[in-house]
Amino acid sequence: MRENVLVELKESQSPQHVRVNAIKSFLAQFLRNNGARLGLLTLAFFVVLAAVPGVLVGPLQTAASATGDFLTAPSREHLLGTDDVGRDVINLVVHGSRISLTIALVSTIISLLVGTTVGLTAGYFGRWVDIWLMRLTDFFFVIPSFVLALVITPVVLQHMGRGGTIIGLRPSLMVIIIVIGLTSWAFVARIVRSQTLSLRERQFVERAKVVGTGNLKIMVSHLLPNLVPQIAANGAIVVAGAIYTETALSFLGLGDPLQPSWGTLLSLAQRAGAASSGAWWYLGAPGLCVLIVSLAFVMIGNALDDTFNPRRRAIP
Amino acid sequence: MIWRIGSVLVRAFVTLLMVAALNFVLFRVIPGDPAAMLLGGARSSATAEQIDAQRERWGLDRPLIPDQVLQYLSATAQGDLGYSFKFRGRRVSDLIIERLPATLLLVGLAQGVAIFCGVTLGLYAGWRRGGAIDHVTTGTSLALYSTPPFWLGMLLVVVFSTMLGWLPGYGSYSPGLVNADLLDWFGDRTGHLALPVLAIALGLIGQYVVVARAAMSDVVTEDYMVTARAKGLTSGQMLRRHAFRNALLPVVTLVTLNLGYVVAGAITVESVFAWPGIGSLTVEALNARDYPVLQGIFLLLGASIVAANLLADVAYGLLDPRVR
Repeated sequence: MRENVLVELKESQSPQHVRVNAIKSFLAQFLRNNGARLGLLTLAFFVVLAAVPGVLVGPLQTAASATGDFLTAPSREHLLGTDDVGRDVINLVVHGSRISLTIALVSTIISLLVGTTVGLTAGYFGRWVDIWLMRLTDFFFVIPSFVLALVITPVVLQHMGRGGTIIGLRPSLMVIIIVIGLTSWAFVARIVRSQTLSLRERQFVERAKVVGTGNLKIMVSHLLPNLVPQIAANGAIVVAGAIYTETALSFLGLGDPLQPSWGTLLSLAQRAGAASSGAWWYLGAPGLCVLIVSLAFVMIGNALDDTFNPRRRAIP
Repeated sequence: MIWRIGSVLVRAFVTLLMVAALNFVLFRVIPGDPAAMLLGGARSSATAEQIDAQRERWGLDRPLIPDQVLQYLSATAQGDLGYSFKFRGRRVSDLIIERLPATLLLVGLAQGVAIFCGVTLGLYAGWRRGGAIDHVTTGTSLALYSTPPFWLGMLLVVVFSTMLGWLPGYGSYSPGLVNADLLDWFGDRTGHLALPVLAIALGLIGQYVVVARAAMSDVVTEDYMVTARAKGLTSGQMLRRHAFRNALLPVVTLVTLNLGYVVAGAITVESVFAWPGIGSLTVEALNARDYPVLQGIFLLLGASIVAANLLADVAYGLLDPRVR
């Protein structure tokens, strides 16, 4: 495999060609990993659920449009049973996948953007910029995202009110997205910074400086592409963390009952006394979804790490 | 060494200061008059003199910066966290102190169980890597690690409390047993502790197994292990004298670092079991938008996490002579 890439490298000098080949060989490596395949397959399934919930199970049921009896066990009619107001649990879980995945992915994007910017800036400029940015990072690194979000979210919610929607999401969900995104970046910033520190001593950065390339241009077009592997591998872990934080916050009642995520469903199940009345289907379904999706992301993250980091590949 | 301790202490102090600062800012961001907010909880039961004294203490009639900030910090440092909105007129610090023992008991037991089971299993799995036990433990711990602990708690209630009826799934004691003898009382308390402790411990076990296994896997590939084998040591001697001590280093750091996180994670589990600790207090405060209590809890969590970090630094220094 590796020999092939090297041979092709010599034959074709065009940089595009080299890049395409590198991506191809990476994908081949990555897809040979069982964890990666399983994770991607699982994720694809949930993305389909999240993309077209209406087509699959009809519109989100409310207490008024509920079709079943209260808290009935799984049957042919309701494959995963019903909740305490008679809503079909499959309907709720499929609609919940859209909310949960959107919150997790958008907050991860925010987190990666902030983390990469802070880490890259600190690592590239060094000196006092580094010292101050890392002091800030330390704070967010030490205090878990969940604890910060727990105290920030209710205050911001009170400030904003709960009416209307922003890009199809209720404001309370928007708040959760932004709060998770802005509190979970420290881990990414540290990794990006340490990688930047070693990259900026490399020759291609020196060369770019000598020809008079600006700092911003060096950071974006010379350093950033080299950081993508680290960012991607850790991004998958950040998603798993975001799912956990969102589920926990919503479980404590900070979610939105009009757009229920899996965490909100668990919170509703808890308030309905699903556990003490033995309604395992009601609390089982959303929890299992959380578990499966976070496992999928962890597996993808591990597979990315194995692929990018040849030293880890040797260890089974 | 002194320089290192100094810098560690300074960083811990700065983090605590930032937690307090965030509290201060958040409080001033909430719509409404801060004086009314701060004193709202006390108004119904406190006398006019008390309110005036409090207003004086918080410096609410003076400029925001620097007077109010300084007043706030000095009041916080003295343990004055204001009054609860929900529990009319009660001091936040009293509420927290009242609930703290229940949480500490729960978290302490869960940590103990998790450390004992998780670290042992993880070290063994790493030592006998690729064996049957390794495969089973690693797979299970990865799943446990990704499971929200409160959901685990709900499942435990369904299985062991509702279906099998073995253990209680609610509260910390049976109200009917007030006059029971010591043995019954103890049994009742233990029964109520079992499920919440298990819920927290299982999640932690997953995490500790992963870390302990990774640490042991690293150690067994080290050169000194080959040397030990070449010297003619048996596997047991290699494990006890070389592998165990070196593998324990990252594990101890993680376990100590984790102390603060465990308290935070216990919040959700407590609310499942209506365990009367800090977690239930948090949920009550969230539902009533009781900001002073919420901020007191935030300060407590922040302080416990910072303390755990300090402890981890000290533990690392004691265990690893290279750091000294």
